[in-house]
Amino acid sequence: MNSHFLAWIVLIPLISSLFLGLMHLYSIKIRKIPDFVFTTLALFAPMASFVLGVLFCIGLYEGASEYIYEPYTWLKVNGYIISMGFLGDRLSIFMTIFVTFIGSMIHIYASGYMKGDGGYGKFFSYFNLFMASMLLLVLANSPLIMFIGWEGVGLCSYLLISFYFTDPLNVVAGNKAFIVNRIGDFGFIIGLVTMFFYVGKLGFDYYALEEYVSLVPIPVLTFIGVALFVGAMGKSAQIPLYVWLPDAMAGPTPVSALIHAATMVTAGVYMVARFHFLYDLIPDVGVFIAYIGAFSALFAAIIAMRQTDIKKILAYSTISQLGYMFIAVGLGGYSTGLFHVFTHAFFKALLFMGAGAVIIALHHEQNIFKMGGLRKKIPLVYITMLTATLAISGIPPFSGFFSKDEILLKAYLHQEYLIYIIGLFTATLTAYYMFRLFFVTFEGKNYSDKKVGELSWSMKAPLVILAFGATFAGFVGLPEVFGAHNLIDSWLEAWSGPALHVEHVQEISLMLISVVAGLIGIGIAYVKFYKYDFSKEIKISGVVYNKFYIDEAYDYVFVKGLQKLSVFISVVVDDGIIDKIVMSISSGFINLGRRVGRMQSANTRAYAFFMLVGISSFSLYLILKLG
Amino acid sequence: MINVIFLILSLFALMGAIGMIMFSNTMHSALSFIVTVMALAGLYALLNASFLFMVQIIIYAGAIITLMLFIIMFLNIREEHAPKEPNKYINMLVVAIVLTPIDYLLFEAFLRMPHIGDFTTKIKNFGDIKMLGDKLFRGWLLPFETISILLLVALIGSIVLARKRERK
Amino acid sequence: MIEASFMSYISLSILLFSIGIIGLISRKNIFIIYMSIELMLNAINLMLVTLSKYFSSMDGQIIAMMVMAIAASEAAVFLSLIVAMFRLKHSLNIDDYNALKQKGTL
Repeated sequence: MNSHFLAWIVLIPLISSLFLGLMHLYSIKIRKIPDFVFTTLALFAPMASFVLGVLFCIGLYEGASEYIYEPYTWLKVNGYIISMGFLGDRLSIFMTIFVTFIGSMIHIYASGYMKGDGGYGKFFSYFNLFMASMLLLVLANSPLIMFIGWEGVGLCSYLLISFYFTDPLNVVAGNKAFIVNRIGDFGFIIGLVTMFFYVGKLGFDYYALEEYVSLVPIPVLTFIGVALFVGAMGKSAQIPLYVWLPDAMAGPTPVSALIHAATMVTAGVYMVARFHFLYDLIPDVGVFIAYIGAFSALFAAIIAMRQTDIKKILAYSTISQLGYMFIAVGLGGYSTGLFHVFTHAFFKALLFMGAGAVIIALHHEQNIFKMGGLRKKIPLVYITMLTATLAISGIPPFSGFFSKDEILLKAYLHQEYLIYIIGLFTATLTAYYMFRLFFVTFEGKNYSDKKVGELSWSMKAPLVILAFGATFAGFVGLPEVFGAHNLIDSWLEAWSGPALHVEHVQEISLMLISVVAGLIGIGIAYVKFYKYDFSKEIKISGVVYNKFYIDEAYDYVFVKGLQKLSVFISVVVDDGIIDKIVMSISSGFINLGRRVGRMQSANTRAYAFFMLVGISSFSLYLILKLG
Repeated sequence: MINVIFLILSLFALMGAIGMIMFSNTMHSALSFIVTVMALAGLYALLNASFLFMVQIIIYAGAIITLMLFIIMFLNIREEHAPKEPNKYINMLVVAIVLTPIDYLLFEAFLRMPHIGDFTTKIKNFGDIKMLGDKLFRGWLLPFETISILLLVALIGSIVLARKRERK
Repeated sequence: MIEASFMSYISLSILLFSIGIIGLISRKNIFIIYMSIELMLNAINLMLVTLSKYFSSMDGQIIAMMVMAIAASEAAVFLSLIVAMFRLKHSLNIDDYNALKQKGTL
């Protein structure tokens, strides 16, 4: 496999995005282009990238250690050389494959979901641009190139959240996502710059960094690690920067599925795994990351329990699942975290697509307490959603069970029992709120009878494919206790962390505990919601429903505080002090000018006299000086 | 002998100059200035500058001052045209005081100039017209030609300035 | 008896020059100002001729001649200027000619 094709993985979606954008402009300004043209081009790009990714995967499997392609030098300043480079090693190809696969599925789904929309071409242009940015992020061979993709996915996220920009709420949500991400990116930049400052001269691609990062003193390294993780917090919606993700659900549902569940939000996890050589040196930061992840998981799960909007529940569950991933990568089990990224992408994309199908079927109704009884009306969605819900609840043999259990096992074996207990408790909560959503949506009684819209095959097909994925994706990482070979661990050998010995009995019993935890959650949900009576007037309120007032607190502290500070600076500092100084200086000059201007009397004799006085005083000086 | 002549001539020059700036009548001032110019011509003669002596009389006394008198009469300037200057003596006093350091400095500078012998020239026929012409057309040809252009420009300029303008 | 020495010529020249400056600054009559300028030129000429003799060099006299030529052209221009100015305002007072004065305040 020629390594030049690495660039094409990124370039195909990018070129396709440009074409789609131009064609969309042509379509709305000059002559209408039929939708299937857009669909063909849009679907071609991620699939082509997927095929290339698979080919590279085969190449790696057959023994190539990695593919590196550096087409040109991007920057060359005073000995610092940044080359535009692509790196296809096991990690990045792994990410590429699942990103392009999920991306292809969601593209197909979106072609049905967005049918008849005025911005059809624009949507796919953004979507392909997102694919290009995400793949650049994944395939970059240096942190700076990664950062291009990092910013690119942020931009696409913003564009797609406020896709229906005529509604001010969507625009506000887009702005919020962008600004909160900016805070994280700022941390990321600081981390990069600090790292560059210390070892940038020795080369700045991952291999050079891996070799030289130990030259950086440990306190600085800790700082870099935390700063980079701040970037991950923003992108992967962890405490305290998670607030944008629930609001990001304002975008079309395929966007939520692709960007805000399956791919972009896992960029933070990928980044930590990519910098594993750095985080291996600072295990304390790793534990910190794990705790942030654990608390994010718990916190988001608690909030999700009381939400009513189907997409918001899924958004909070995304935050929660991302928390699990950070537990794993924080404790050094990068391959475990990535395994969860992998399985999560399947079942969460499926959940979102199912939710999208429900929303479409009910003509844009998102409140689950206005649904109910959909099992008979859309049975396909019912079955696929059930698969995904079981997967996320950690019920074997669905995929989520294996990855989540492995994370809990890692936490237990690292003797971080607090994290283990939080994780286990969160698993119960997850099962509870997911089945609450599921039962309220599809079961219940006394629900009002609704007319259900027709779903196109392009929406159904990805549901089925991903349902298979959600069911069987876990088997690639089957733990060895079942006598199987853990494919993920052996594929990502360099990222699997130290092998921890565990007794088989112990492992099996831990598995049983987590299964029981999940089943408890399901049981509670079953009791409370299986026969949910929709005729009852529901009134949900309270601290949890209002998301612990975190948004309000942020608004009060940061937005209002900043506003007050701005007003203070503008009124007191600017008007009162700076302007006063500047104005007094300028009026002083005006007054001085008025006075000096009187000398300009247009009286020639006076001018001559001034000149004479000047010469005379100079002569006087010379006389006194020279004696 | 020469000293006496110098004294008389310098006295005339100073008197003429002081009179020139003192008189309030313009005509009187101009006539007083002629005295100074003539006295200076005499001083040039004392300084072995025979050619300049002639030039001074012909150009200054004969041309410039005459031209000025002509203009004064041409414009028909009478006593009432002259500006009222009630405090001109006070002004003069102030300017004189301010001038003192400059004069002192100049005087000191010349006093301290390197002494190169007494004030008599050894060169025979120093300052006669032959020597002057020789020097003028060998060493100073370019400035000489430039001066001729300057005179031409002044000629044209004065015509342009003094021409009566047509009112628009 | 004062020696008719170098310094006496120089002193005379300085005095004449100073009188020229006094006239230039303290008088308002345009003609007298003009004559003061001529007087200053003459004083400088006297100094140049004196130095020419002192250094036994003809250059001083030649420069003095140049000064005279310039004085002549200046006379032509200045007098035509006076004619034009007198036509404009019928005044010989230099203080009346202040067209460049700034009118009003800032």
